[in-house]
Amino acid sequence: MLGRSTDWILGVAGGVLLALMTHYNGTLANHTSSVFGSWVAHGLGAVVALVLVVLTGRAFRPGRKSAGGGSGQAGEGNGGAGNGGSGNGQRAAAPLWSYLGGIPGAFTVMLASIAVNSDLELSGTIALMLVGQVLFGIVSDSFGLFGTPRRRLVLADFLVVLSVLVGSALIIFGGA
Amino acid sequence: MLPYILLAFLNGAIIGTSRAVNGKLSTRVGPFKASLWNHVVGFLFLTLVLLVMNDWKFDESGSAPFTAYLGGFFGALFVAVNSYVFPRLGAMTAALMVISGQMITAVLIDYQDRHEAPGALRCLGVVIVIAGVYMSRVVSASQHGSRQDSQQDSRQERHNT
Repeated sequence: MLGRSTDWILGVAGGVLLALMTHYNGTLANHTSSVFGSWVAHGLGAVVALVLVVLTGRAFRPGRKSAGGGSGQAGEGNGGAGNGGSGNGQRAAAPLWSYLGGIPGAFTVMLASIAVNSDLELSGTIALMLVGQVLFGIVSDSFGLFGTPRRRLVLADFLVVLSVLVGSALIIFGGA
Repeated sequence: MLPYILLAFLNGAIIGTSRAVNGKLSTRVGPFKASLWNHVVGFLFLTLVLLVMNDWKFDESGSAPFTAYLGGFFGALFVAVNSYVFPRLGAMTAALMVISGQMITAVLIDYQDRHEAPGALRCLGVVIVIAGVYMSRVVSASQHGSRQDSQQDSRQERHNT
């Protein structure tokens, strides 16, 4: 149970990183424009990601060798990969479309800047985007969109959805 | 107003699409390379957009503080972390956990900026969000546990017959 909790903690930590990113990118956008600011952030982000790839590549290389040494383990890894697992065993080639996630990611910035400048303002835009994300997640889990494993939702999942969205609404609209 | 509402709503789905695609790439090339591809492709796409719009707004006066350029650093880390957990948690749970961390951090950032404690409603919001995160983990653990139990039961039944 504790081992798997790491995924939840990392998910929340991802949200912390995203809030910091939005905060600093907002400063940049105020001094330039939203699209230009995003262009700069993507460029700098690419450099940082490259550094991370080089650093982690060095750190993980010896580990990969030893993992390849155990042939029994490698066999198990392949079985897991068939189930859509994210194991460190031998990986199949990535489909071409999976390299294009940056396009919808960049597109988002432009759409958001349009919505923020409407009567929705920042709070309304953020709230609707959050609901859109969660609904997309529910649809994606039910149909296994983009090659992700299908997941059946249980009633308790909707309790989680309700608490996170109601809590977020209180934070967004609850005043200072 | 309605078109803007639909636009903001659709934008949430587009964010989800981007994360799902990056998550898929991460299972094949690893989270850090997925983050690199996301940023390189996004950078090229925005270069095209800026060329078409001819809207280059370099901060020539140098008025932007150094911290304005920190966003790229956190963005690169975010995409790597999120791409890693996305296929492991599933699209819905991943979105909910990211939203939770984001909202709680936003309250803390506002607190730091304004030097003023958040109001009662916002604090209540934070408590409810944290309860949601806790519930999510417990729901998943109980599902996982019951699946193991039923497997053990069927194994025992086979053993008994």
